[in-house]
Amino acid sequence: MPLLARFRSIGVLGVLLLLVIGAAALTPQHTFIQEANLKTLLALGPEFGIIALGVGVLMVAGEFDLSVGSVLTLCGFFFIWLVGSGLNPFVAALITLVSGIAIGFVHGLVVVKARIVSFIATLGFMLTWRGLAEILTAGVVRSHNFEQYPLFTQLVTGRLGGVVPMQLIWFILFAVILYFVLQRGRFGNWIYATGDNVEAARAMAVPTDLVKLTCFMLVGFMCSFASLLQITRTAAFTTHMGTGWELQAVAAAVVGGTSLRGGRGTMVGIFLGALVIMVIDNMIGQARLPYEWTYIAFGLVILGAVLLDLAVEKQVQRATA
Amino acid sequence: MSATSSANGQELLKMVGIHKYFGRVHALRGVNFSVNRGEVVGLCGDNGAGKSTLIKVASGYHMADAGQIFFEGREVKLRSPKDARALGIETVYQEQALCPHLSIARNIFMGREPTTVLGLLDQSRMNEESMEALASMGLKLRSPHALVSALSGGQRQGVAIARAIHFRAKLVILDEPTIALSVKEVREVLDFVRHLKDQGVAAVFITHTLHHVFSVADRIVVLAHGCNLVDIRTKDTTVDELSDIIARGTLGDAAPTHKPESEAAAAALAQQATCEEDTEAEQEI
Amino acid sequence: MQRRTIQNLSLGGFSTPLVFIITILIFWAFSPGHRFLDPRNVAAIAKLTPDLGVVALGIGVLMICGEFDLSIASVLPTCSFIFTQLLMAGVSPFVAFVLLLPIGAVFGLINGLLVVRTGLPSFIITLSTMLFWRGIVYVASGLMPISILPYIPTGSPFAQMLTGQIGPVPVQLLWFLGIALVLGVVLHFGRLGNWIYATGSNQDAARAMGVDVRLVKIVCYMIVGSLCAFAAMMQATRLGSFAATQGIGFELKAIAAVVVGGTSLRGGVGSMVGIALGVFIIQILENGLILLRVPVFGVNTFIGLAVILFVIINNLTNRQLAGQGF
Repeated sequence: MPLLARFRSIGVLGVLLLLVIGAAALTPQHTFIQEANLKTLLALGPEFGIIALGVGVLMVAGEFDLSVGSVLTLCGFFFIWLVGSGLNPFVAALITLVSGIAIGFVHGLVVVKARIVSFIATLGFMLTWRGLAEILTAGVVRSHNFEQYPLFTQLVTGRLGGVVPMQLIWFILFAVILYFVLQRGRFGNWIYATGDNVEAARAMAVPTDLVKLTCFMLVGFMCSFASLLQITRTAAFTTHMGTGWELQAVAAAVVGGTSLRGGRGTMVGIFLGALVIMVIDNMIGQARLPYEWTYIAFGLVILGAVLLDLAVEKQVQRATA
Repeated sequence: MSATSSANGQELLKMVGIHKYFGRVHALRGVNFSVNRGEVVGLCGDNGAGKSTLIKVASGYHMADAGQIFFEGREVKLRSPKDARALGIETVYQEQALCPHLSIARNIFMGREPTTVLGLLDQSRMNEESMEALASMGLKLRSPHALVSALSGGQRQGVAIARAIHFRAKLVILDEPTIALSVKEVREVLDFVRHLKDQGVAAVFITHTLHHVFSVADRIVVLAHGCNLVDIRTKDTTVDELSDIIARGTLGDAAPTHKPESEAAAAALAQQATCEEDTEAEQEI
Repeated sequence: MQRRTIQNLSLGGFSTPLVFIITILIFWAFSPGHRFLDPRNVAAIAKLTPDLGVVALGIGVLMICGEFDLSIASVLPTCSFIFTQLLMAGVSPFVAFVLLLPIGAVFGLINGLLVVRTGLPSFIITLSTMLFWRGIVYVASGLMPISILPYIPTGSPFAQMLTGQIGPVPVQLLWFLGIALVLGVVLHFGRLGNWIYATGSNQDAARAMGVDVRLVKIVCYMIVGSLCAFAAMMQATRLGSFAATQGIGFELKAIAAVVVGGTSLRGGVGSMVGIALGVFIIQILENGLILLRVPVFGVNTFIGLAVILFVIINNLTNRQLAGQGF
C-alpha cells in the first residue's frame, strides 16, 4: 500500500509538472510563469485549495459535500456583515469560523442521523445556503475597507517576507496538519476505516457517525476559513463566490487518487490534486480562453481521473489476484 | 448429561430466557445459551432460526427485550459492542470484519490504535505486535503492510481471529466463518479455531454446514423458530441425526435423550414447550 | 406478483397527495388576493410545468432503477441548440423533431455506458458530462439566444402541436399527461417496468434472475435523454428561441419532484402517479413563492429544504412500512 500510494502521488506530481511546463510554454508571451501571474496563482489558488483539502478528507471517510461553494458564500456574507457592523475583524472571523463549523455540523447530522445520501443532502443545502445568502443580502452589493485593519489583513492576505503570500502559508499549514491527522494519527485510521468498511469499523467500536460528523465540520470550517481569505482579499461580497467549486474540489481529490467509494486517498495526493486544479483554472484564464472552457476542461478532468483510477485499481487487483 | 448443568465455575457466558422483538416479529422466544471456558460451541439452525440475532445480543449489537446475561458468573448488561468487548467477547463477522484497503496492522489495531507521546500512531509497535499475533495463529504473512484485499478468504478470517486473540478475548464468536470459502481455506479456518482452543479461548461457531462444526466443536446448540431445539455434546450425536432434526425443525422421535438434570435445563425445556405453541399460534394467523 | 403491482401503484405513500393538497391550500390562502387560483395563474402553471415535468418523469424512472442523471441540465440546452441548427439548415421542424428524439437518446446512451461500464457512482459521471455539455453548448452558441420564430412562427402547425391549446387546455399539459401515462403503463404493467424495480431494489438478485441489469440502466438513461430532447423542443417553441440557460437548475428540481413524489433515493421504490404529483408540487411551490414575492433566488432555499425534508419523511415512512410489513 505505501508503495502504491507513493506511486500514485508521484504520478500526480508528474501531471502537475507537465501542466506547469505546458502552461509556461503555451500561454501567450509565457505569462503563466511570469512573477505577477505566479503571485496571483499562489494567492488566489489557496482559497480553493483549502476547501479541497477538507473535501478530500471527507471523501476518504466515504461522503461528499457539494455545498462548499454555497457555504463559502454564506460565511462570506456573515463575515462582511459582521465586520461592516463595526465588529473587530478577529472577533468577526471567529464567529464566521464557528458558523462554518455549525453548518458542517448540520450537514453531518442530516447525513448521519436522517440517513440521507450525502450528495443529495448537500445538493439540497447547496441551494439552501446560497439562496439564504441571496435573501439576506437582498441584492445589495456589500463592500468594506479592510485596510483599516493592518494586522488582520497582514495575517490573512499579506506576504511573508514581502514575497510568499500568506494564503499559501495557510494552505500548506492546513495540509501538513491534516497529513498528520489523516495518515499518522488514530483519528485518521478511523477515517480510513469508516470510508473503507463502515460495518467493520463499527464492529471494532470506531464511532463512525462521529467520524463523519467531524469530517463534515472540518469541511465547514475550511469553507469559512476560505471565505475570510476571499472577502479580505476582494474587500467585497457577491453571491457568486465559489460557484462550481463543489465539483472542482471533488475533481482535486479524485485527481489526487482519492477513491469515490471512500477508504483510499492520501493527503499528499489531495494536496497535489488541488494544485493541479488550481493550475488548470489559472491556465484557462491565462490562455485567454473564454470562461466557458472551464466547464469542458473540468468535465473531462473528472471523467479522465476517475477512469484512470479505475484502470489502476483493476491492474492492482489483477496483480494481487 | 446436559451441558447447561456443567459446574458453575466453568461457565463463561450464560444467557437465560432471552427474548428479542423486531417490530411485530418475535425473533427470540426465551432462548437459553451457555459457553464454558475453553469450550467450542457450534450454533446451528435453519435460516431465520435466530442464530444471528442471538449472537448479536451476545456481542452487544442488539439489546435483549427480556432475559438475563451472565459473564463469568456475574450478571451483565450489554448495551453496545464496546460493553461486550470490555468483558472479553469478540465477534468476527463474515465479510464485514476487515477494511480491504487498509493494511493488516491497521486492521488489527482498528479502534484501539496505540499512539506515541505526540498522539501519532505507534506504527512500529503495531507492525511488530500484529506479526506476533498472526504467528500465534500459525499464519505466516509476508508483511504487516500488506493490504487485506490481497489476502485469501481464509487468511482474512485468520487476521480477524488473530485480532480477537491479541486483545485477550475470552470468548470469540465466529459468524459463518466458512461461508464462501474454498475447501483448503475452510481447513485453514478450522485450524485457527483449534489454535484458539489450544490457547484456552472459548469460541462460538455459527454455521449452516454441520460437517465443518463437527470437527472442531465440543457441543452443538440448534435453534429453530427462535427457540432452543437441541443442546448436545458432539460425541453423543452424529451429523446425520442433527441434520435430520434441523431439516424437520422439531425433535420428534429421533431426538437424543435430553433429560433435564438441573432447574435451568428444566426451565429451558418448559420454555421450549410454550415456545412451540407460540409458533403454531403465529402460523395460524 | 399481483400484490407487488398494487403496491407499486400506490401513491408513493400517503404523504405525496396530502402535500399536494396542502401546498395548494396554503398558496391559495396566502397569495395576495388569492391570486394563486386565478385562472390565468393556473393556466400559467399548466403551461410551464411540463417543461420540467417531462424530464422529471424520465428521471423518476431512472431513480427507481437506482441511478441519477444530473446532466439533463445541459443535455437539454444542447438538444435545443442542435434543434435550432437543424432548423437554420432548412430542415422542416417535423423532421427535426423526429431526428432529435434519437439524438437525445444518444446523450443518454453515453451516460448509461459510462455508468455501467465503470460501475462508478452515477452522480459523479453525470456531473462531469453535465459540465462537459454545458461547456460545449456555451462555447458553440457564444451564450447568445437564437430566435426560431422565422422557422416556427407562432400558430404554425408545429407550434400548435407542441404548445397550442385544445379548448382551455394547453397542449403541453396533454403531452405531459400522455407521457406520464405511457411511462406509467410501462413501469407498472410491463416487463421492463418489473425489471426496473428489480434493478433498483436489489441489483444482484435481479442479475441472478436473469435480468440484464446493465441494459435496463442504459435504456432508462436513453429514455431520459429522449425526454430531454422533447422538453428542449417544447421549451424552445414556447420561448420562440434557443437560450443557453434553458434547463439550468433542472437537475435538482427534477430530483426534488421525484423525491417529493415518494421515490426512494436508493432505488426500487416509487410510482408514476407520485412522480407526476411531485412535479406539480415543485412547480406550485416555485410559482407560489414568487407570488408571495420571495426573491427568485430565495426560492431555491425552499426547494433545497423541500428535498431534504422529503427524503427524511420518505425514509421514516419506508422504515415504518418495513417494520410492519416484515
